[in-house]
Amino acid sequence: MNRALLSGLVGLSVLTSGCAKIEGEAGSRLNLIKRRGELVCGVSGKIPGFSFLGSDGKYKGIDVDICKALAAGILGDSRKVKFRPLTAPERFTALQTGEIDVLSRNTTINLSRDSSGGNGVTFAPVVFYDGQRLMVKKSANINSLNDLQNSNICVGSGTTTEQNLNDTFQEKNISYTPIKYQDIDQVVQGYLQNRCKAMTSDGSQLAAARFGFSNPSNHIILDSVLSKEPLAPASRGGDQRLSDAIRWIIYALFEAEEQNISNSNIQQQVKMARSNKSLTSLRRFLGVDSGLGSKLGLPDDFVVKVIESTGNYKDIYEKHLGEKSSVPIPRGLNNTYLNGGLHISPPLK
Amino acid sequence: MKRLTSFYKYSHLNKLVLNISRQIPITKKRQHRPLEAILSISILAIFLVSLINFFNWILFHAEWNVVTGNIRLYAFGSFPQLYLWRPILWILLIIITSLLSIFSNRKSQIYNSLILAWILIVPIGIFLLAGGLILEPVASMYWGGFILTLLLTLSSGLIAFPIGILLALGRQSEMPAINKISRIYIDIIRGLPLITVLFFGQLLIPLFLPMDFEINRIIRAVIAFAIFTAAYIAEDIRGGMQSIPTTQKEAAVVLGLDKSQTNILILLPQALKTAIPALTNQAIGLLQNTSLMAILGLVELLGISRSLLANPAFIGKYLEVYVWLGLIYWLACTCIALIARSIEQKMQPTNLNAK
Repeated sequence: MNRALLSGLVGLSVLTSGCAKIEGEAGSRLNLIKRRGELVCGVSGKIPGFSFLGSDGKYKGIDVDICKALAAGILGDSRKVKFRPLTAPERFTALQTGEIDVLSRNTTINLSRDSSGGNGVTFAPVVFYDGQRLMVKKSANINSLNDLQNSNICVGSGTTTEQNLNDTFQEKNISYTPIKYQDIDQVVQGYLQNRCKAMTSDGSQLAAARFGFSNPSNHIILDSVLSKEPLAPASRGGDQRLSDAIRWIIYALFEAEEQNISNSNIQQQVKMARSNKSLTSLRRFLGVDSGLGSKLGLPDDFVVKVIESTGNYKDIYEKHLGEKSSVPIPRGLNNTYLNGGLHISPPLK
Repeated sequence: MKRLTSFYKYSHLNKLVLNISRQIPITKKRQHRPLEAILSISILAIFLVSLINFFNWILFHAEWNVVTGNIRLYAFGSFPQLYLWRPILWILLIIITSLLSIFSNRKSQIYNSLILAWILIVPIGIFLLAGGLILEPVASMYWGGFILTLLLTLSSGLIAFPIGILLALGRQSEMPAINKISRIYIDIIRGLPLITVLFFGQLLIPLFLPMDFEINRIIRAVIAFAIFTAAYIAEDIRGGMQSIPTTQKEAAVVLGLDKSQTNILILLPQALKTAIPALTNQAIGLLQNTSLMAILGLVELLGISRSLLANPAFIGKYLEVYVWLGLIYWLACTCIALIARSIEQKMQPTNLNAK
């Protein structure tokens, strides 16, 4: 019953957000952030690998590092960022009311969130391509969705996850019994207690959950993807200067990876660009030749500041989700297009 | 003819009932009931086994580093290390005031100033946490853990209590407008689940306010809790007032006290005393209800624990965390109960104590 209530309230907030969006053109939030000297970033704080609380009381994860990169690009210092933990239902409200500048909280882009008739936020480029997947026990000998005929599947209720599961299985004409739980913790427990043959959630969450099992290698995540969940940061709609700055700082992270510029060699690259006038595109990218930054309202060397503080996209990914990290998720779609992934930066010209 | 037969039937039944009732005393002597014995023993066995397993897990299997390594976070959230003395000082003040409330003599000077101390502890706490004047300001974003739970409980309790008293008086009032308003307020709030009120405060109020006008979310939470709890406190106090014999009121009239004097001097003190057990329930409920803020994004005790559980180093350690949380909440609630009990004892009329 509470869920119906929650969704009702969320629906109401979506409706009212239309009214709240009466906004003057005067003054971009970018100026406000610079004046304040601090970026306020909304994160989840509860998603392993993406944003979580370290034992030192500081937030860590990919979503958090994106915020740090933005702070470095806009303010020149990745420490000038404040994190505000947000739950899923309040995230857009917080953006609309201006409690936060940027939302970096595992948010899937979709039409209704983007459009002015919906939540009316502006999305930055996708920073993580997620997708709903299924996890099964290796011993069960299940290789595809068809092997799950007539079996129980653990799922978090009231989420799009449940909907996607239903849609996919109905489409493929596979009958199954959903075992519904309130949240992912309970789904995991149900799965471990053999209440169901498979559990379903976003791929990244499955990988994170599996890491906590006593025998992670006994469980496999099936290849089939039930839904696409491209996750991207967002800012308030109708603020072109801020959304442009965010967009191009994130593209700079991709571009740097494409050009193999990381936090370990950035100084060398800057030196090289300074001494060699023929490297025009590198000089432009690193702000040795001015032009790019000022168009965005950022310092010309914003790319250098970003890469110095957080590294390029690969550095961030490897740190939090790479093979040696605690929540290893194969890069797959999240690789640069040069390696067969989907991340590509338009030219920074 | 028919009647006769039915009468006959009934008389027969009556006899049967009589016979059965006569037999009951005979079975008074306990017979051996193997089924019951087996059930009792197996229930006892299940209980023992789970108890042993539980302690076995607590002592040998649980990995308590998720608790021991993060005590600071549970207690203070991400409060800056440099200023940690401020929340620590506040907690010490609360502990001292609680101990004084429990152990001080009711006739001593200290006991009389305790009410003032409890009222002051909230602004002192806010000042210590938020800073300002001579202290370096700390944004409320960094408040968290147990101090936030305490702050939410104490400040919303402090606001709710006077509102509750006013509402209780309003419901007793003979002025129709005041009476109606109090009644409607109480009925509406009691008809709403707490989570709705909290949701309204956290998510909808900001949408109705002008763009750059922002009320701190902790204040919003406190107001929502206070609005909610006040209605229940009002009903508890009204219950206390109704238990007072009407002769008290009549005696007050005879003594020449006016309405407000009767309320303040005669009725309220007695009503509050009677209502203490119910009010204690409210206080304990309020403390536990603050954990609902975890799903609305505040990092109070439960919220910070859930954030910690997302740390890859502690994935899957939620049993440890929840056992620990249970312990903390239990301790805090027991403290409230102890304080309330000692206050209740001290409020007993002296002639009962002086036996």
